[in-house]
Amino acid sequence: MKIRLRTLLTLGLALGAALHLVAAKKEINLFGWSEYVPQAVLDQFEKETGIKVNYETYASNEEMLSKLLGGAAEFDLVQPSEYVVEALVKAGKLEAIDFARVPNMKNVGAEFLRQPHDPEQKYSVPYMAGTVGIVVNTEKVKQPIVGMKDVFSGQCAGRIVTLADNREILTWALRTLDRDINVITPEAIAAARPVLAKWLPQIRLFDSDSPKTALLNGEVDIGVIWSGEAALLYREDKKFAYILPKEGAHLWIDSLVIPKGAPHKADAETFINFILRPEVSVLISEAFPYTNPNLEARKLLSPEQLGNPASYPAPTKLESFHDIGKAAGIVDKLITDLKGGS
Amino acid sequence: MAATPVPLAKDSGGRRVPGLIGWLLLSPMLLWLVLFVVFPTAILFVYSFCQRDELGQVVFDFTWSNYGRIFDPVYLRIFGRSLWYAALTTGLCLVIGYPVAYFIGRSPPRRRSLLLLAVMVPFWISFLLRTYAWISLLKAEGPLSALLQWSQLIAGPLEILYTPAAVIIGLVYTYLPFMILPIFTSAEKLDHSMIEAALDLGASPVRAFTQVIIPLTKPGIFAGVLLVFVPSIGMFAVTDLMGGAKVSMIGNVIQNQFGQARDWPFGAALGITFLALFAVTFWFLHDRNGEAH
Repeated sequence: MKIRLRTLLTLGLALGAALHLVAAKKEINLFGWSEYVPQAVLDQFEKETGIKVNYETYASNEEMLSKLLGGAAEFDLVQPSEYVVEALVKAGKLEAIDFARVPNMKNVGAEFLRQPHDPEQKYSVPYMAGTVGIVVNTEKVKQPIVGMKDVFSGQCAGRIVTLADNREILTWALRTLDRDINVITPEAIAAARPVLAKWLPQIRLFDSDSPKTALLNGEVDIGVIWSGEAALLYREDKKFAYILPKEGAHLWIDSLVIPKGAPHKADAETFINFILRPEVSVLISEAFPYTNPNLEARKLLSPEQLGNPASYPAPTKLESFHDIGKAAGIVDKLITDLKGGS
Repeated sequence: MAATPVPLAKDSGGRRVPGLIGWLLLSPMLLWLVLFVVFPTAILFVYSFCQRDELGQVVFDFTWSNYGRIFDPVYLRIFGRSLWYAALTTGLCLVIGYPVAYFIGRSPPRRRSLLLLAVMVPFWISFLLRTYAWISLLKAEGPLSALLQWSQLIAGPLEILYTPAAVIIGLVYTYLPFMILPIFTSAEKLDHSMIEAALDLGASPVRAFTQVIIPLTKPGIFAGVLLVFVPSIGMFAVTDLMGGAKVSMIGNVIQNQFGQARDWPFGAALGITFLALFAVTFWFLHDRNGEAH
């Protein structure tokens, strides 16, 4: 009897140690945008599931692509924007997600699903969305601003900040010319050139990382920037109005995807399902006020948060970006040339 | 005919081949050079003849086209501007740095080390942090603007941030120590009796400066010019932050190829061309400098 008890005890201890080892080994590698996933969410996930999330960050889709395709590290989850998801799907670089393991997918609004970048919704789950629009310091700018033509009318010359994203800048010109923003040909570039040649010299600075700083500093009065930055400005001071240009705007969707050959695919799916829980998703919205595609989570937001025009703008014509492949080269050359001319 | 052996003998006396111990002592540096200079440059060289695929990955498909694109007027103009900005930066650094370096070099030892420390202290703080400090100093609602308006030197708020002038300020600030330190080393070694001799022989102070002091500190000036000119051509952080990413220099163009444009082969071709240009300029300057002595 005594011996058996001892054996049992030892066995139990061994089992416990083994379980502990297995538990300690569980982890996933998330490669995401900087300032995008609150630490509290990652901590709660680890507490609940025992899976540790290693959060490595990047500042641009391009930086992410070089690291992901370079194969230097093995990531389980990445957060690319829509046109990069499209390119990755085309190149066969993503795993199909097992949606049986992601029941919370039902919370995501239909308008964010089956987009051109993932028409069958096999590879991606929307994380956050947003727009690129116009922010106006209404104390300084009195004339009405409804579209890009008003921004670059010349009245605000030298008081404008815009994103430093060459493709984004080009699409503003293409839209005012009533052209398809996803058809980037030498002919489209030639058409946009005279418009941008008039616009670019009016811009005081280009900044993608923190365009809100120049607006808060009073260095500029008008900006064409990410909606998330605009939402933070509005939170700071109601004088910063957010306007979606009447000719249309870029709706971007950042998704969670699993790269081909990810070592912890099942755990990554558990994480996706966790993120889609309304009470978790709302934590992300509180920290980073982008447009939350999770409709159940939106119900938990305060009226004030929902009333932030930059997070939840009035509907207008919104379009997402398609992958343009090598055409990125001619876009880069055009903007480099026009900046050089000033 | 009989004269040929003489320079040969002189040469072999001047350049000794290091022995085994010499090579051993050199090996850490050689290893470092091979791993982090020769090897990456070789990769860059190979890439510069490749192409990119739709995703921006490098495809090993031989082409000259990347080098052809460099001669597009768009990039040549930016290269010209980079040279001009770098020259202006070097000139300003020399004018500002020379008197400082000379003064430090001629100071009594205790004050000298204190002054040298003052030149070095900024290096203890992150470069980015110092650049942001300049931004808050120069901004329209910043202290400099307020001071100038208060003293009625300017009417409206200061509008210098995000202009080429701000870029030059940033460049001069960043590279000034690289001009001061080598000139200081030369000035410190300067034999004061030479200057006294020049003055005793009736040279005016200006003449003593141009014909004695400058030639004697020439190695420092040469090193300083090189240390400022070369890196300031390739600088991209200052133009992005203080120039508002508006005035691009060749460094920004290269950075863009490895970033947004996702065209590594073209970026590599720009980098290799840049490197070759420097090597040629360096040789040219070095040869002329050598002849002068």
